[in-house]
Amino acid sequence: MSGTPWQLDAASIARQVRDGSLSARTAVEQALNRIEATDSRVNAFTSLLAERALKRAGQIDKHTRRSELSLAGVPFAAKNLFDIAGLPTLAGSKIEREATPAARDALLVRRLEAAGAILVGANSMDEYAYGFTTENTHYGPTRNPHDLAHVSGGSSGGSAAAVAAGQVPISLGSDTNGSIRVPSSLCGTYGLKPTFGRLPRVGSYPFVASLDHLGPFARTVDDLVLAYDAMQGPSSADPACARRPPEPVRPQMAGSVDSLRIGVLGGWFREMAMPEALAAVDAAAEALGTSRLIEWPEVERARAAAFLISNAEGAALHLDDLRRRAQDFEPLSRDRFLAGALLPAAWVMQAQRVRQWFAQRVARAFETVDVLIAPATPCVAPRIGTEWMELGGKRLPARPSLGLLAQPISCIGLPVVTVPVWGMNPQLPHLPIGVQVIAAPWREDLALRVAAALEGRGVSSAPIATLS
Amino acid sequence: MASPLTADQLDRIVHANAAALDLRIAIEHRPGVAHYFKLAADMAELVMGLPLGPDDESGAVFTPVSPEVGS
Repeated sequence: MSGTPWQLDAASIARQVRDGSLSARTAVEQALNRIEATDSRVNAFTSLLAERALKRAGQIDKHTRRSELSLAGVPFAAKNLFDIAGLPTLAGSKIEREATPAARDALLVRRLEAAGAILVGANSMDEYAYGFTTENTHYGPTRNPHDLAHVSGGSSGGSAAAVAAGQVPISLGSDTNGSIRVPSSLCGTYGLKPTFGRLPRVGSYPFVASLDHLGPFARTVDDLVLAYDAMQGPSSADPACARRPPEPVRPQMAGSVDSLRIGVLGGWFREMAMPEALAAVDAAAEALGTSRLIEWPEVERARAAAFLISNAEGAALHLDDLRRRAQDFEPLSRDRFLAGALLPAAWVMQAQRVRQWFAQRVARAFETVDVLIAPATPCVAPRIGTEWMELGGKRLPARPSLGLLAQPISCIGLPVVTVPVWGMNPQLPHLPIGVQVIAAPWREDLALRVAAALEGRGVSSAPIATLS
Repeated sequence: MASPLTADQLDRIVHANAAALDLRIAIEHRPGVAHYFKLAADMAELVMGLPLGPDDESGAVFTPVSPEVGS
């Protein structure tokens, strides 16, 4: 890939920094300049780390083993729920401005930097990750780089927007109910939500520990793979993290997808999708040569289980602040948190059992298929301030409904790569929509290979927004 | 699937549970809390409607914590 450094993908930057044709300092300076030039319009960042990043770039440029660093000199950003040494971890809130600054970086930030990447800033998000639009009242909305009047999606909206705007080639986000997949879909980036328990969450602010995942955004599948491989490996400090050794995907990426059994999710995943979402899935299915429709049982109940677990567990985490200073919470999610604190225990316990029941049924379905595709969101990005949408013949609140195709999948921890498709809405052809590429647990390799096939066959791409 | 609980029943649950938790809900937040509690009750109707037996385990699994080696 050619272009000035801020336009390059991570693999190209790293290759040039390794061979000495580009300095890490130049790569970082260009990223900081691009952020400076565009972020007053996009609002993807809450903190910039220019001094730290330039210092780190100098170290990379002098690194004696620079040629071995897979992400040498690659600028990246992280959702502001990742700890950054010296900064309070905001998690999108006003309340956490008073928190003690983090003593060290989150583990995944450290792992990316160990591979040569350079953290340049922290990204905006919905408060405490409880939202799908990043219309953050405290810090202002993060705008969709492909149309500034529209939402970026959330809760990792700043992370997706930063990649779509060409501010950084890679960013980190979290996904509890769709918070990587929804903004990937709406901003037109690639996003990876790995299997639940794959990547350790050490040093990140939790939303719902039972459901929280961390993962990367990028503008190419190859960059997702580079970031993902650099972050793999267990940690005993995260009790939900599986004790699995790293399973690098990059060596698997050359494998053909022609022998894979690929299906399209039906039922809920088609009933709750608008025409543009169905068109995107159908285009992907055609490119993959499949018309096999597969239906999972009781998807709506699984989505309800995810809703209840999130509502109760998320609220319980903030109970003390809800008692003392409810007025300081985000107005768009405060009343949901308050209600969540009051749910009867039996509802939540049953939701956890429904989750396990559903996971077992889906596992059976994966005995006859390797990869499934489904829409990531019901529609392209709504305009900022949209309150309602029509779906499946019902008038539904727009913000929570953006996640209803993502929630049943994260509820059971399956790995998903979101791939962006363009031109599916004739009225809004400049806005993307994502397709979820879903695999059985621990088979990120299969989802990434199919995502790469869609990218290679021209169905999917993630161009930098023109911001005109 | 809508919850069979009436608005009055839901309101009483909200008040009783808030009192049990010492969680004061300001007057201006009450309509929003009632709205979201009703939404959660509708979701609960869905999950409670799935017949499960004693063998159906919880999805919340605890992992025992071993002592650090050498500590």
